[in-house]
Amino acid sequence: MLDNYLPILIFLLVGLGVGTALTILGRLLSTSRPDPQKNSPYECGFEAFEDTRMKFDVRYYLVAILFIIFDLEIAFLFPWAVVLEDIGVFGFLSMMLFLAILIVGFIYEWFQGALEWE
Amino acid sequence: MDLQLPIFYFFATILVAAASLVVTLRNPVKAALALVLAFFSAACLWVLLEAEFLGIVLLLVYVGAVMVLFLFVVMMLDINIAQLRSGFGEYLPIGGIVAALMLLEMVLVLGASGFDLQGMPNPAPQPADYSNTRALGMLVYTDYVYPFELAAVVLLVSIVAAIALTLRKRKDTRYQNPAEQMAVRRDDRVRLVKMPSEAKRESGR
Amino acid sequence: MFDWACTLPLAGWACDLYAEQRLLRIGLGIIVLVVFCILMVLIMVYAERRLVGFMQLRKGPNRVGPFGLLQAIADTIKLLIKEVIVPTNASPILFLLAPILVLAPALAAWAVVPFGDQLVLADVDASLLYILALASMGVYGVIIAGWASNSKYAFLGAMRSAAQIVAYEIAMGFALVGVLMAAGSLNLREIVLAQSGGIHQWYIWPLLPLFFVYFIAGVAETNRAPFDVAEGESEIVAGFHVEYSGISFALFFFAEYVNMVMIAALSTLMFLGGWQSPFGGEVTPAIGVILFFGKMSFFLFCFMWFRATFPRYRYDQIMRLGWKVFIPVTLVWIGLMGGVMFFTPYGYVFH
Repeated sequence: MLDNYLPILIFLLVGLGVGTALTILGRLLSTSRPDPQKNSPYECGFEAFEDTRMKFDVRYYLVAILFIIFDLEIAFLFPWAVVLEDIGVFGFLSMMLFLAILIVGFIYEWFQGALEWE
Repeated sequence: MDLQLPIFYFFATILVAAASLVVTLRNPVKAALALVLAFFSAACLWVLLEAEFLGIVLLLVYVGAVMVLFLFVVMMLDINIAQLRSGFGEYLPIGGIVAALMLLEMVLVLGASGFDLQGMPNPAPQPADYSNTRALGMLVYTDYVYPFELAAVVLLVSIVAAIALTLRKRKDTRYQNPAEQMAVRRDDRVRLVKMPSEAKRESGR
Repeated sequence: MFDWACTLPLAGWACDLYAEQRLLRIGLGIIVLVVFCILMVLIMVYAERRLVGFMQLRKGPNRVGPFGLLQAIADTIKLLIKEVIVPTNASPILFLLAPILVLAPALAAWAVVPFGDQLVLADVDASLLYILALASMGVYGVIIAGWASNSKYAFLGAMRSAAQIVAYEIAMGFALVGVLMAAGSLNLREIVLAQSGGIHQWYIWPLLPLFFVYFIAGVAETNRAPFDVAEGESEIVAGFHVEYSGISFALFFFAEYVNMVMIAALSTLMFLGGWQSPFGGEVTPAIGVILFFGKMSFFLFCFMWFRATFPRYRYDQIMRLGWKVFIPVTLVWIGLMGGVMFFTPYGYVFH
């Protein structure tokens, strides 16, 4: 099994290598004439004011938390779908109970308005 | 083929280095990114241990989801680093004692005979067509169905908790519903009133 | 000649690989895949501009080379020799690292894509899961780019993009569950083989709703029109890569197109029977690859067609579509599939 992962490892390193090589190549080939105006962050022509890393709407955190929960659900669903034929009706119903419990949560989210984006 | 050994050392070195960076880097965002790298190397080590499915799920769930949340949080909260570091000397002794105790415990557990190379040999290499996922699936939904359903309840609680903690209607936001704006009809906004074009001039003034 | 080197500690593996010529084969495979990606991107850039031009009654690029065929190459050279501006107050290392981190997973995902029954670089068992995991890592490049630029537009674009990518990843994952239920395997090659026997065996028919969810989620996942709010130029100029120029920008661009080709390839493998002929029966590897490319081009054409046709979605509509439409649809279809497979005699429909 591990033999199959060797090409993947090499490919990942090659992928990083291609990106790095191109970045370095670009640096070598391109001009570099820095200028305070050129290097200032884009702000529609204004001087930048305020700190960039501002506080954000809490909704983004909520989306991220819900994403983790559903991602876990997917991690549980994948092996189940693969062995569905072998684990029979019992296995099927155990997953349906699992999903039913989580759908309760999903409905709660829905009616609390957590999925609304204002 | 003993290719595994150099690969193990490669990822183990990255893992240890990344983990040390997590606690030494001053910038919280960079520390979180180092943690991502640590998780990634850990996943590669798991794959080396023939735990293919678990390794990839570690990537999918921890790197792909949990760390995204971490990054959202550390990027967008205003963390005053100077203020955070001010109590460092004060808490150093007690922190050091706790760390030393934890180290001692881990040495006791992991150093004991149960976890040495004889007790925990490298798993036997699996044939190329062996399905880790299938083996796991055969057990989780039948033999371990009770913990599996408990996991659903834990996730449900976390959904409810997350919503209860973070979701509040802000009163100060001005909010428009574009769908409503689009759906508006002429009759909702305009009332046509019939009236003569000029007020009648009263004669005799 | 180099036999003495094999006796060094930790070096024996290199000699084994050398002896088996495995490294050579792996290296060749990787080179072929990387060249394939580069060629596909060059073709796509040209084809997209011509096609969108045609749909909008314009000519598109027509000056560089015959029919403007060399336009994409000229653009590449131009981007390579343009200055890479690192904005003040940006973190220079992270700033330059972000595009590399987007590109590497986009390329490495191709390792497990089967172009034919034997034409696959790494035939791992959990190949679909592996692609999903790599796709979820692409979001880091976006977040790092937005954060490292130290620009408000870039940061806002990165946050939007990240929230959108994660929302659609869920829908995508649920859609894949249906495919796994039908095929009973996580391996892409086995998923294709499970669809053999002609066009009526392809999963697009029994899994039609999941197919639509998957493809639309794929369009959203790659931040393509009509879901390109992350770079909506009328709102946040260019989103997370507003500060990027030169080769660093080109890497983002390259990765986006590679991801698009990947979504098209996955749709082909999972719903249109991959390299298999629509009339059933065995095909030679060469014809198989041609069929695979033909089916893939259809999806790539759709990407461009969408871009030329649809106006951009509003952000709240995108989030609503992901959470409130796609997730319920996929959940219902999964339950329905399972129910039919276990409690009715019509389970064969889904196999």
